[in-house]
Amino acid sequence: MARIEISELSKDFGSIMALDGVTLSLDKGCIVGLLGPNGSGKTTLIKILNGLLVPTSGTVEINGIEPGVETKKKVAYLPDRNALPDYMTSDQLVELYSDFFYDFDAAKAEAMIDDLGIDRNQVMQKMSKGTKEKLQLCLVMARQADVYLLDEPIGGVDPATRDYILKTIISNYNEDGIVIISTHLISDIESVLDNVIFLKEGRVVLEGAADDIREKEGKSIDELFREVFRC
Amino acid sequence: MLGKLLKYEIPAIGRKLLPLYGAWAAASIFLGIGLRGFDSESDLFSVLTILLYVAVTVAVIVMSVILIVQRYRNSMLGDEAYFNMVLPVSMNEHIANKGLSALIWMTVSTLASLVSIFLILLCSGSLFDVFPEFIKGIREIIAEVGAHWIIVLIELILLSILSSAKSILAIYAAITIGHQAKDHKTLASIGAYIALGMAESTVGNIFMRLGWMFNFGRFDNLIEFLSTHEFMTSQILMLVLFLVSIGLVAAYFFICKYFLEKKLNLA
Repeated sequence: MARIEISELSKDFGSIMALDGVTLSLDKGCIVGLLGPNGSGKTTLIKILNGLLVPTSGTVEINGIEPGVETKKKVAYLPDRNALPDYMTSDQLVELYSDFFYDFDAAKAEAMIDDLGIDRNQVMQKMSKGTKEKLQLCLVMARQADVYLLDEPIGGVDPATRDYILKTIISNYNEDGIVIISTHLISDIESVLDNVIFLKEGRVVLEGAADDIREKEGKSIDELFREVFRC
Repeated sequence: MLGKLLKYEIPAIGRKLLPLYGAWAAASIFLGIGLRGFDSESDLFSVLTILLYVAVTVAVIVMSVILIVQRYRNSMLGDEAYFNMVLPVSMNEHIANKGLSALIWMTVSTLASLVSIFLILLCSGSLFDVFPEFIKGIREIIAEVGAHWIIVLIELILLSILSSAKSILAIYAAITIGHQAKDHKTLASIGAYIALGMAESTVGNIFMRLGWMFNFGRFDNLIEFLSTHEFMTSQILMLVLFLVSIGLVAAYFFICKYFLEKKLNLA
């Protein structure tokens, strides 16, 4: 059984078709790049996997069950915005995660937070945008989850921080799990991807192992992306 | 998990309400001092303390409602929902958490209003005049209506708590329904609140007519009814009121649950 099974998944917002008949089967032990331009349906797909959106039709299963309380125990999610209570300090947020997620390793999170030089007693609302993103990522990656859903984890940070974030993802994810990274900044992330999925106007236009695609197409994923999504 | 949710929810509202309670207490003390000098040369100070007290009291009441509404909207349907709604917690626990914490803070606000009255009386120097009169009045009422009516009083307090819970859940249900709208979600929530209120009053009218049929008297004139009817009859009426309130609490709870579970669409 694949870690994630998506079958004929569609989602519309009135007249806008955000996802149109997406079918995917994703196995554990790899980092998957969910790639596409803005509005291609990446965030919609991630939200449905998290149970934050109800699909119009089709099915989604994580470890064989539909999104719900049981899957939420096993899915670590980094949203594309700050969703944590911003009046809390890093230490309080570590306690918050410890209270709700049994797979959360507080010592690991604290080590990452210290490593990044984040003041553990500073409330989140006083942190810079980049620091907030790094803190959220530390908390998410300190879980031993089966599935990591990272929505634009490198969107708003400087190149040095991007390197740190990618290093954090590679060195901390549960190797028995799967990491799905949604982004349109391909060149920064290409080196860490095992598999890629190209989404265009809600449809899967390309899916496969990154190495196979590079070999077959004779170009990098970034070059191929620019070609497929040329305006 | 409900306990853990409450652990974070109660302080989330309290951190904004507690400073307001502090301001309320300070305004009460000023008013008490101001009232001491009322009808003397310091009339202006007295008037200012009254104005200050009214302003702070209105602020506390308005802010309590706004905070309860805001907390629900932000953490169930706004940015914080992106964390809150991925917690491994059932929807029943999420809604119960919001309802209970709002109810707790509404009860604390009611207690704070009693503290405010106490401070005004204490600082104005009239506490020791008013308090014995108050106790005397209570004793007279008990002597007149009979001690068993204390049970009715307790039931009325419980009924008012239940009624508060119903009001909170009605607001939550309206916000949740309004969130289904593509645009103008706030306006849609207000519309949903009016529609729910109309449905509720229709249900109330049906029960009132049933009340007439069984000769329990008019439900909207409870005090008069209680003073003219026998204790046991009042208990039957109380039972009906409790059942109606519990029914409405359950109905609003399940409206929230249905939309959050089956129709959740976080933009």
